[in-house]
Amino acid sequence: MAEKKKMSVAEILAAARKTDGGATSDEAAPKSSDAAEAAPAAESSPAPEKPAAKPAAKPAAKPAAKSGGGRPSVAEMLAAARAEKQGGAKPAEKPAAAKPAAAAKEAPAKKPAPAKAKEPVAAKAQAPKDTGSILAAARNPSKPGPMTKAEAARQAPAEKPKPAAKPVKSKLTVPPMPAKPDYAKPKPKAAAATTTDRRGFLTGMMLGSCLGIGFVSMSTTFGLWLLGTARFMYPNVLMEPPSQFKVGFPSNFAPGQVETKFVGQYGVWIVNYEYNGEPQIYALRTVCTHLGCTPNWLEGEQKFKCPCHGSGFYKDGINFEGPAPRPLERYAIRVADDGQLEVDKSKLFQEEIGQWSDPASFVAV
Amino acid sequence: MHGVSEAEVVSGIAPFLGGYYLFLASMNAVMAFYLWHYKHRTNDALVWTAFSLFMVIVSAAAMGGSPPGLPESVRNLVNWLTGPVIYSVGTTVLLVIAYVLRRWWVKPMVAWTLLNISLVAMGVSMVDANFAAIVTKPDNVPIVGLVFLLGFFTWLATAKAVENDNRAKEGLPPTEKLDDEKVLVWPDLVYTELICMVALTALLLVWAIALQAPLEEPASSVKTPNPSKAPWYFLGLQEMLVYYDPWMAGVVLPSLVLVGLAAIPFLDFNKLGNGYYTIEQRKFSYLVFQFGFLELWITLIILGTFFRGPNWNIFGPFEFWDPHKVLALNNVDLSQYFWIGFMGEALPKPSPDATTLSQILTILLREWLGIVLVVLYFVALPPLMAATIFRGFFVKMGFLRFMLMANLLLFMAALPLKMVLRWTLNLKYIIAIPEFFLNF
Ligand code: FES
Repeated sequence: MAEKKKMSVAEILAAARKTDGGATSDEAAPKSSDAAEAAPAAESSPAPEKPAAKPAAKPAAKPAAKSGGGRPSVAEMLAAARAEKQGGAKPAEKPAAAKPAAAAKEAPAKKPAPAKAKEPVAAKAQAPKDTGSILAAARNPSKPGPMTKAEAARQAPAEKPKPAAKPVKSKLTVPPMPAKPDYAKPKPKAAAATTTDRRGFLTGMMLGSCLGIGFVSMSTTFGLWLLGTARFMYPNVLMEPPSQFKVGFPSNFAPGQVETKFVGQYGVWIVNYEYNGEPQIYALRTVCTHLGCTPNWLEGEQKFKCPCHGSGFYKDGINFEGPAPRPLERYAIRVADDGQLEVDKSKLFQEEIGQWSDPASFVAV
Repeated sequence: MHGVSEAEVVSGIAPFLGGYYLFLASMNAVMAFYLWHYKHRTNDALVWTAFSLFMVIVSAAAMGGSPPGLPESVRNLVNWLTGPVIYSVGTTVLLVIAYVLRRWWVKPMVAWTLLNISLVAMGVSMVDANFAAIVTKPDNVPIVGLVFLLGFFTWLATAKAVENDNRAKEGLPPTEKLDDEKVLVWPDLVYTELICMVALTALLLVWAIALQAPLEEPASSVKTPNPSKAPWYFLGLQEMLVYYDPWMAGVVLPSLVLVGLAAIPFLDFNKLGNGYYTIEQRKFSYLVFQFGFLELWITLIILGTFFRGPNWNIFGPFEFWDPHKVLALNNVDLSQYFWIGFMGEALPKPSPDATTLSQILTILLREWLGIVLVVLYFVALPPLMAATIFRGFFVKMGFLRFMLMANLLLFMAALPLKMVLRWTLNLKYIIAIPEFFLNF
């Protein structure tokens, strides 16, 4: 796969050369640092390698300008390098940098940079690149392609477009901080207007009142919503069955019987059985004390069995198997004035805290 | 199955099984061709060709209405093997075996053989009406698929790790570092994703048409379906609820799972194994994760899906789901074991009229053994671990990190411990304070 891609890069580079060939046939090579590295043609390498002590010259701007601010041809770059050699005491940092034209333009303004800075550049020029970056670079020199971290580290010094403003950070080269050019110096902030004139006061009022209105209306809306939600908790009509209901006469329940016909409507089993040896009728709540499923009454096994995690309860509601930690709960039950049993679901009795001895929790038979 | 005779079931499933075996045959034929043509391994190719031909014969038999099944004795044996204790201990043993023999079973031919064995086992089991009823339930079909998918991915990861470990022994870099070139998002990744998306959509369409959605009767607060199962991915949690109080199994332990997973980067001091598969270089992490994932999550999901029947009883795969199956499961709290069984007294019972303080003291007296055990487990064990088996860890991790790790491990171990205690001793809660909803 890697090889395939490398092949295609070569092709693309060739294609790129062709397209640029209209103007100058060998322009592709130095058109960006990426391309220069991918095809380390002999033309481009002398430029970065030689200038170890090359000072930049003012005339360097000329050939660069000729190419219209675009990519310089190799010939132009060589000329620039030569000119630098002859010229004064101001070295240009990167003859092979991404935008030599810009670099050359700035050259006059720049302070001298140490010659050391060149070495990594030269080294970088040979650093292998991966295909993605080269492809992207070939397509658009101003947007280098994706890079691995290692690559980025290798390339970082070379691609700094304006070394004057941002000195290269590298272990090898620690150039002294060049003085900032004028354009890069922070502008002194315009003194803030501390005095409020009349117009400013008016705008402030308008703005303030807008914000004020906004916030007031927003909080009012939210407040109303909140009230509406609270109102929702108290519906006009409650579709719940009454919490007190009659289930028939005690004589309807045979000893040992578990009446399941009220489960659907009221969620209660009426059991005529015994607790601690005392025969009594009680109302068990049909909610498993484990996680709240509805157990089933299994007549054959004489137990309540929960289908969710397998808790089992004896007929008196005491838990004996599975994870349920407590016995089933009882509702209040009593004999009403007409002699019928009346269950009150608003009251619960829990065995584990001794509430089943409360006479309201059963009817003795 | 009630009302349906064995013969009817067999004739119902026979055409499906015919297609199934035909699929197996073609799958192996392709493999044989691949081995012969691309790998030039004629012997292997011949073996799989023979197997493929055999599958064609079996397929013909199935189409003809007599698919091969399992004898009664084998089914009973399997039912017995899937009893809770053997199942949980057995899966753990399997995990250990898979770890020890990993160099053997990751070999492609061995893995292929294992896959074929499991697929054929599936096929012959489907003749059993109870087994067929469970695995062909629309709810469960995708889970069957997931089990095979999980097997494949476990194999893939293990194979890569084994290869890297072998390379590491020879001083070579892991395979992942060889092809270090990056892949572009566009087009490489996006195209892959697009193809996956289209394929998956097609699959979902076919699935939605072929398998009816398992809709049930309208929900009712007073009627719970029996058995009542959580979505498959929560069945591990539901299984946990069988052994613990809802507070523990529903809130504390799941949160601890999340906290523990989030704490891994903080606890991990092993710098190796970054960005490539390996087992040798991260043995501890690998084993802990495999145990937590495969044993405490996957096997529980399988248990919940296939083996939990009406009333949440455990049923073997070839057992009829009888809602009246009677199991003696009298669970006993530790305090009852201690006071009634050992001391021969009644449980100390807080009297409702006493002051709150004296009630609490009575409860503490009742539960003292469990409380002491739990405190010892969480407070005394970590230093003991630091002094013995985890000495090296303690030195590298420091006090805080080690204590965190040790407690997370202990919580993790608490689940299988409690499961085994429940099955063997019928132990319900070690600490049982239902008065304050505090049970452990
Ligand atoms: S809800 Fe009844 S056993 Fe869990």
